[in-house]
Amino acid sequence: RVSSDGKPPKFQPPPKPVIIDRKTQKEEMRFLSPEFIPPRGRTTPLKYYIERKDMIQRRKVFNIPEFYVGDVLAVTTANPYASDKSSRFVGICIQRGGKGLGATFVLRNVIEDQGVEICYELYSPRIQAIEVLKLEKRLDENLMYLRDALPEYSTFDVNMKPVPRMDHEEVPVNKVQVRMKPKPWSKRWERPKYNIKGIKFELPEHKMQAAQKWSQPWLEFDMLREYDTSKIEEKIRKELSEELEK
Amino acid sequence: MMPIWTKSGEKHAVTLLKVQDCHVLRYVSKEESGEKTAKLLVGGKNVSPFSKPESAHEIFKEAGVPRKQKVTTFNVTDDAIIKPGSTPLYAAHFRPGQFVDVTAKTIGKGFQGVMKRWGFKGQPASHGQTKTHRRPGAISTNQAAKVYRGKKMPGQMGNIYRTSFGLKVWRINTKHDIIYVNGSVPGHTNCLVKVRDSKLPTYKDCNKNPPFPTFFADGDEELPEDLFDEEIFQFTDPSVTFT
Repeated sequence: RVSSDGKPPKFQPPPKPVIIDRKTQKEEMRFLSPEFIPPRGRTTPLKYYIERKDMIQRRKVFNIPEFYVGDVLAVTTANPYASDKSSRFVGICIQRGGKGLGATFVLRNVIEDQGVEICYELYSPRIQAIEVLKLEKRLDENLMYLRDALPEYSTFDVNMKPVPRMDHEEVPVNKVQVRMKPKPWSKRWERPKYNIKGIKFELPEHKMQAAQKWSQPWLEFDMLREYDTSKIEEKIRKELSEELEK
Repeated sequence: MMPIWTKSGEKHAVTLLKVQDCHVLRYVSKEESGEKTAKLLVGGKNVSPFSKPESAHEIFKEAGVPRKQKVTTFNVTDDAIIKPGSTPLYAAHFRPGQFVDVTAKTIGKGFQGVMKRWGFKGQPASHGQTKTHRRPGAISTNQAAKVYRGKKMPGQMGNIYRTSFGLKVWRINTKHDIIYVNGSVPGHTNCLVKVRDSKLPTYKDCNKNPPFPTFFADGDEELPEDLFDEEIFQFTDPSVTFT
């Protein structure tokens, strides 16, 4: 192009490349284990601070990996009655409960046609190793309905190899719709109180609509039930990152 | 309440008690009180002085200490007397491995019926019962011709002082003045609680060299931030393995 003067146009340096460092970005949205978030109540914050110090202390010595409900874990615990003095259990995590040091998670597996569920305490000193064999999320936070689902959805190979995954990828969500055994179930999972999205209900239409009778549509608008944890989570994340780097 | 693990991997539940601004307010000698032992009046937890009249502040002014929410008496032998006023009492007064009695007012449940208060079985819900499902039934026999004193009947339940005896002290945090006591303790969360050395005969000789008469912060002893019992699993150690 020719400018108005007739001289060649002034040299425009190329635009500087904007480096989006994916690693630092991902660290800001890091996973915070749910047992760190204190429940809503009238206990003094000092108690949660002291409990958190103990939890951080344990995490420095023993690595508790990031895991979600719906992924497959292998846990080795110390067992005084076993010949090896340790026992290994592989299973899918169906529930994470408890806050603070008493946090627990339940692993389910079907071994020789018998469903087995074991509830482990995250901070118990008898746990020697926790490995995540397959990291993935499911559509629900609580997979207790696997008890009434066909056994193929709860069977996992005891000698399963860990599925390799890149550190920076997002956690995949497994949108499988689980098929159930015929009714009666341990709980009426079709009712809206459980709000389950991961079951393929093969019930007739009139039964599904009859279940909606127990819906409470006002619950999501109830302001007294709101518990905004974003600021608390920020503080705890900061505290955790400072302590774990020491 | 919190879980605590021993070195063999067993879990125990533990209650956290915080020692908040405890000061000795007054010393009452044996002759003054007319009892077998001397008494020390101790106050805990500072509170605003504006909600009580000036006459109630006399004890606190003598000791030179802000107004306390609760004042209790401890029966004390002559060699364990502490000068009132200047010395605060700390959690380090107790040591891990000691046994302790904890007294507090239980959670108040108000006027309660006989089934909740005393655990009576009541009557069946159906099969012809007329207006009688949670009543006490018979209160005495024919021969007695009276109702005995202390008969269990409906009335005020809770909000009275009760003690849990023989609780083991697992851990002491000297920085925040917290005592970790085994098991549960009467009272609601954040209520005021009185902690004494255990009077049970099994634990008479369990205190080996406790800080006597109490732990003085300005003394030469420098305690670490956390004092643990020998059997506690500390989180700085690696996981438990059996051999």
